[in-house]
Amino acid sequence: MTTILKALEPFADPVSLLLLGAGLLLWFWGTWPLLEAGSYLSKLHKLSVSDTLGSTLMLLGLLVRIPGQWPLLCLALLGLLVWNTIFGYVLARCSLPPQQSEPAAAARLASPTLRP
Amino acid sequence: MNVLIWGMLLALLIPIAVVCRPCSVWDRMAAFSSIASKVALMMMVVGVMRNDWMLGLVGAISLSAGNSGMLLLANVLREVER
Amino acid sequence: MGFLLSCLLRLVLWGLLTAETSAINLLIGLALAVLLPHARGPRQPLAPLLRALWGALVAIPVSYGEALSLIRGGGDEERWLEQPASAPSQRLVIFLEVLAITLTPFTLVLGLSRVEGRPIYRIHQLRPRPSTPNPADTRRIEP
Repeated sequence: MTTILKALEPFADPVSLLLLGAGLLLWFWGTWPLLEAGSYLSKLHKLSVSDTLGSTLMLLGLLVRIPGQWPLLCLALLGLLVWNTIFGYVLARCSLPPQQSEPAAAARLASPTLRP
Repeated sequence: MNVLIWGMLLALLIPIAVVCRPCSVWDRMAAFSSIASKVALMMMVVGVMRNDWMLGLVGAISLSAGNSGMLLLANVLREVER
Repeated sequence: MGFLLSCLLRLVLWGLLTAETSAINLLIGLALAVLLPHARGPRQPLAPLLRALWGALVAIPVSYGEALSLIRGGGDEERWLEQPASAPSQRLVIFLEVLAITLTPFTLVLGLSRVEGRPIYRIHQLRPRPSTPNPADTRRIEP
């Protein structure tokens, strides 16, 4: 195991820079729509791309750079994925006017299923 | 690495600009949550850059604790609007 | 079963947080995991739970693919969808399903409601506009 890590060491720096840069690109792409006038829910979709997926890429980049700290980095990874996702759900759900979350309104919709 | 920090700072300025403009409270909440996770991640990157893992530790803990206060605030706002 | 699983999860979190595997530390973690209050409720069957967990894990690479296609795609289109859900009494399964659906950038869960007794998720979908019109577009729903 350690020999494999030793052999991969020269690649660690460029790979981690690549991951960090990719995460930064996702940050810019996903945060920019906040400034534009779009629907609130589409902003939330794009914010989940930047904050959850982009930050995950950056954390992976850090993990490649300092593998010795993997327990805390894994904890941060888990926390980031779960908290940010659930927060997006709560924001979307709470921002809707209350009559839309009643079952009667939902019953009026037809039901094309996404994944049958 | 330095370029990266500057880039992250620029990306952090976007939600800050959104918060400074007049906008609806939900846009504000989304921008604040974005700021929270970006700042925590910046802490970790700066900590790694300076070889000082204590900084990164703070970032990791604040990421894993999450912003549960904001979660509660969203629920309270929804009740108030009802 | 649920008791064991939640203890295991807490012990893993404690281990990751302290990053130390000495016996005394593991003992403290175990004591905390058992002593902290546990959720009460109906029994949670294991098989659907594992399936939902697998679904949430698979959703991570899928979400990167969807993010790429959102970035490449020009215009976006928004739709409202419904999808059958598991029984609301299985809270962990519901949590994991909501996590998997919301994690993918195309879809966002807006709530769990009942239609004719069946639980369904109400979902908001954002996806790149397809270049050729497909038959699904004729069923588009406006909120």
